This record gives sequence, C-alpha cells and structure tokens, in this order.
Amino acid sequence: MEKNLTYTALFAALIAALGLVPKITLAFGVPITAQSMGIMLCGTILGAKRGGLAVLLFLLLVALGLPLLSGGRGGLGLFVSASGGFLIGWPIAAFVTGLIVEKWRSASLAVVSTVASILGGIVVMYVFGIAGMAIVLKKSLPDAAMLTMAFIPGDIVKAVIAGLLTSAIAKARPASVLSRAA
Amino acid sequence: MWCQQINMNDLNNTASLAIKDASSIKLEQVCLDIQGKRILDQLSFSTKVRRLGIIGRNGSGKSTLSRVLSGLIETKSGLLEVAGVNPFNDRKAALQEIGLLFQNPDHQIIFPTVLEEVVFGLRQLGEKKKQAEQIAKETLATFGKAHWENVHTSALSQGQKHLVCLMAVVAMQPNLIILDEPFAGLDIPTKRQLQRYLDKFPGSLIHISHDPGDLNDYDQLLWLESGQVAALGTPEEVLPKYLEEMHKIGDSDDISNLAH
Amino acid sequence: MISLTSPIETRAHHWSAGLKLGLLCATTLGLFFVESLIFHSVFLLGVIALYAMPGKAFFISGWQHLKMLWPFILVVAVWHLWTQEFALGATIIIRMVAAVALANLVTMTTRLSDMIEVVRFLARPFARLGLNTRALELSIALVIRMTPVLVSKGQSLSWAWKARSNKRSGWRVILPFTVLALDDADHVAEALRARGGLTNMEKK
Repeated sequence: MEKNLTYTALFAALIAALGLVPKITLAFGVPITAQSMGIMLCGTILGAKRGGLAVLLFLLLVALGLPLLSGGRGGLGLFVSASGGFLIGWPIAAFVTGLIVEKWRSASLAVVSTVASILGGIVVMYVFGIAGMAIVLKKSLPDAAMLTMAFIPGDIVKAVIAGLLTSAIAKARPASVLSRAA
Repeated sequence: MWCQQINMNDLNNTASLAIKDASSIKLEQVCLDIQGKRILDQLSFSTKVRRLGIIGRNGSGKSTLSRVLSGLIETKSGLLEVAGVNPFNDRKAALQEIGLLFQNPDHQIIFPTVLEEVVFGLRQLGEKKKQAEQIAKETLATFGKAHWENVHTSALSQGQKHLVCLMAVVAMQPNLIILDEPFAGLDIPTKRQLQRYLDKFPGSLIHISHDPGDLNDYDQLLWLESGQVAALGTPEEVLPKYLEEMHKIGDSDDISNLAH
Repeated sequence: MISLTSPIETRAHHWSAGLKLGLLCATTLGLFFVESLIFHSVFLLGVIALYAMPGKAFFISGWQHLKMLWPFILVVAVWHLWTQEFALGATIIIRMVAAVALANLVTMTTRLSDMIEVVRFLARPFARLGLNTRALELSIALVIRMTPVLVSKGQSLSWAWKARSNKRSGWRVILPFTVLALDDADHVAEALRARGGLTNMEKK
C-alpha cells in the first residue's frame, strides 16, 4: 500500500532533516541534534516493521554517499569507524522500540514510548555501539562501555522527550500513529 | 492593550485606540546572498509610515526582506535599522518591537493548544507563567476568542490558524508587525475577516503581498524587483506602473527560464 | 541533494562500483586480521598516496571527511599513553584511519547512480522472495526528494521560534515538524495513488 511506502520514506527524510534542524541545547548547555530522537520516533510512531525499515532506508542512503548524518556526514567510512556499531544498531533499536509500543497497551502512550525509547533507543543501540567500538578500538566490552557512559544521561533525556512528543503527536494526528493503528 | 468591539458577540470592552508612533525603517546598501545567489542587492531605502506595503513578483526577495527586517537572518553587508536598532544584533529589542507573521501557519504554530501558543511569546519576553497566561487570555478575549483557550491547534481551519498566529504575535505588543503574504490561499470571507483584525492594529504594519488589491489603502508601497527597489511611493504612484509591468511580463514567457 | 561523490574526476570514477565495493569489503575485513604495526603504517601511506594522486583539491576534500575521527583518535591516544602500550595504540589508530579513509575513497569516486545500480543488482534475487524492487527505488527517490523539503519546513519552524524567543529552539519544534512529515506522507501517498500507485502497470 502506498501509505506504507510514503510513511517509511518520509520518516527517513525526517531523520535526515533532524540532523540539520533544529539545534537543541540540553539542560547543561551542550548542543545536540535531534537525529537520535528521530530514531526513537520512528519506532514509537511507525511501529516495529515500518520504523525499522525507515531507519534502514536512511542508512542505505548514507551508505550510498548522501550527507544525511548530522553535520553533513555520509559515506561508507562511517560504518567502519569506531561509531559504526551505533549506526548498525539504529534500525534494530527502532524495531525494538516499535515492538514495545505495539504490544504494550495498558499504560499511557507517553510512558510506553519513553520506556520503549530507553529499551530500544538506548539499551539495544548501545549494545551494538559498544560491540562496534570494542572491535575497532580493540578494547574489552566493559572498557568500551565505559567510554560511552557520558552520553547516557543525555540520551535518557531524549527518550523522555520522545515519549512526550509521541503522546502529543497522537493527539494531533491519531490516525497517523501506525504503531497503534491495529 | 488595544480593545475593540469587533462583533456583537464580543465582550463590551471599549477603550480608546492608542495610536503608536510609526516605526522607522532604514536600509543602506544591504546585500544578502543565499547559496551563492544574490537575493538582496545593494538595497537602500528609508521610510517611516504606519502602513507600508511591499509588492513584487515571487522571487523578488520579499520574503527574504521580511526575515531581514525581523532580524532572523544576517545580512552580508550594509546598514540595517528597524525602530532604531539592528534587529539581528539586538534580539532583545527586536523581540519587543517587531512581530512576524509567516505565510503558512502550519510552519509557524509550534504548540498543541491555542493558549500555549499565545503564552509562549510572553514567557520568552520574561513574563512569569501566571502573568503570561493572564495576558494571553486577555488577548484571546479581545479577539472574541476566549472559548479557544484549550482548543487543539491542529483541529483549526486554515483561517483560524492564521488568526491564532496573529493573536500570538499581538499578545507580545510589538510596535511593528511584518506580515509575509498573510492571506495566501484563503477564501474571500476569511480574508475579509482577518483584514478587519489587522486594520485595528494601532502599531505599524509592513504587509508583503503579490496581490496589489490588499494594499490600496496603504500609506506607502515598496516595489521590490530582483532584490532592489523598483519604486517607493504612494499606492497611486506605484501601483499603475507595477500593474503595467506585471502585465507586460505576463505577456512574455519568462516562466521558461531556468535559474542559473 | 548533492552526494559526497567528488566532482574531481579520477580513473576510479569509471571502475565498476560493484568491484570497488567488493574489494573494499575484502580489504577492510583483512585489515582487522593483521596485527603488524608496520603493515598498517605502510598500508595507510598507500591510501594517503591514493588520495594525493588526483590533486590537492581532492586531497583536501578527503581530509575534511577524515577530520571527524579526531575524538576517537584522542581517546585511544590518551588511553594508550596512560597504559604505556604505544605500539598497540598506534596500530589501532592507524588501522581505523586507513579503513575509514579507504571506504571514504570509494564513496568519493563512485557516483550515486552507480551505487543505486548496485542496490538494484543486489535486490534482484530478493525480488523472488517478495521484495518489491519498484517500491525500493521509489522510496530512495522519495527520500532524496523530500529531505530538502522537510529541512526547509524545519527551518521555517525554527525561525518562527526565533521570532518570538531569544533561546535556542528547543525540542518542542519537533512536534509540528513531525506532524508536517506525517501530513506530507499522506499527501504523497494520495498523489502516488492518483498516478497508478504501486500496482504493477507493466505490460506483460
């Protein structure tokens, strides 16, 4: 169906757009981009399958050489650098996030989305990211994990925001929240 | 706060209009490039009227000029003064003096409910939450829209969204409001209703439009062409020349030309 | 949207994309099985030479892309200076830079259309398993088409924020941003359907 295709493609475009606009400042004055939040939103709004596909499509285009990653980065080099594991983890993170939102119906959407974003967008993503770092930087898994600790508080903030956003989007466009369409 | 009886259903809250002094605009040799293309080209003009209209073809630089006058984008060179300050450098003064209404309200409304949208600007001006909500509610009441307080912005019609954007800007009590094609795509009744709200604004208005019909009663018109001043004068002076030129271009086929 | 392919023509631009990618995969994999610092140093020098061959502009452009590795290089350098494992640290850094540089070289010397051809080629066997290849091609085109559109809308929203606030536009702008993307998805689906949709219109 056409909607599946366009929703997937538009969210892939949204992830790319979020890499450029808006620039957000975390509470402690650290500027971040909203791109990783886009990954979470793919899951919470599109659900597991379409959300995962959207992120996969996004990565495919980055691999093809389009500068879609925040800061205008792109190309094959990113997948073999130390942060390559995170990229590979993104579609799976979106899938897991979406799966949780699809299956867990008994709590409010904001809570479900936040928890889903943490489990998918953080836990799953970091598993792949840390594995990737361990391989490229030749460190043990615990050592590699240590290197990424500093980013986790920021990511938790992003997960909470993703939860609030999902809830607000569901109120504005209830028919478009495909993760809860069934 | 300007209050006015707008229609029979409004609150009976009349106070005399406090007409504000016209905002002065001064540009000298202002240049602006976007992605290598020169959009504003040594633009120079000076004016101080309550109602200024800006006309020109699409692509003449009108929208860019609105962003420059409200201080949202930086110019490459030249002198820019709106109400005595450079709006890009002095954001604080700009926020207090100048309000901007974009063409598409969908690209402007940020918050899910009407009250939140109106409160936002007030909080950014430094008002405490309670004060901001109070002023916001007063603004809604002035427009006769007190019942819109908790309405979801995504449930509004196009014309209603335009009005919410206007209310959000008016609540901040600017001396100057810049309107970038505010009536684009609206039907005649909605346009007339919004026009009425606009006419009551006691401060200065800069109204950008490609439709001269909106600007007949304005004090001055600025005709922008390729980022430069083609004419600056009263509607009687500028409109006939503008219309003649537009019709002439309409007889040609420059729609075929690709941008460099 | 402009891809990262270098506008400076090299001989590699004309080589088969599939061949380049295949070689890249094999070489990168091989790199991670070699431990010798000398080997990696020589290899990196070779890659740098490849960057230098097409000229200064190409070299500088390539350097820009490699700059993003500096935080990792810094972390590894500090780590290994601390543990005094200099050789190991150097090996890690040099290998990572070489792998990224080589992959980036393929990106810079391969046109987007050639890359899409490879995707098409690789997708063919999956068509029999149910993958809608036409949908895949449409999706790629749609993302390329719609990203600048969404960026422009996002820019408008940021400006709408900036017109009323001194603070940096927060996460709140993402709400209308996402709603706009959802609306665009609905509109484009409609337009697609009006033009035949995804139904296979090919004459058998």
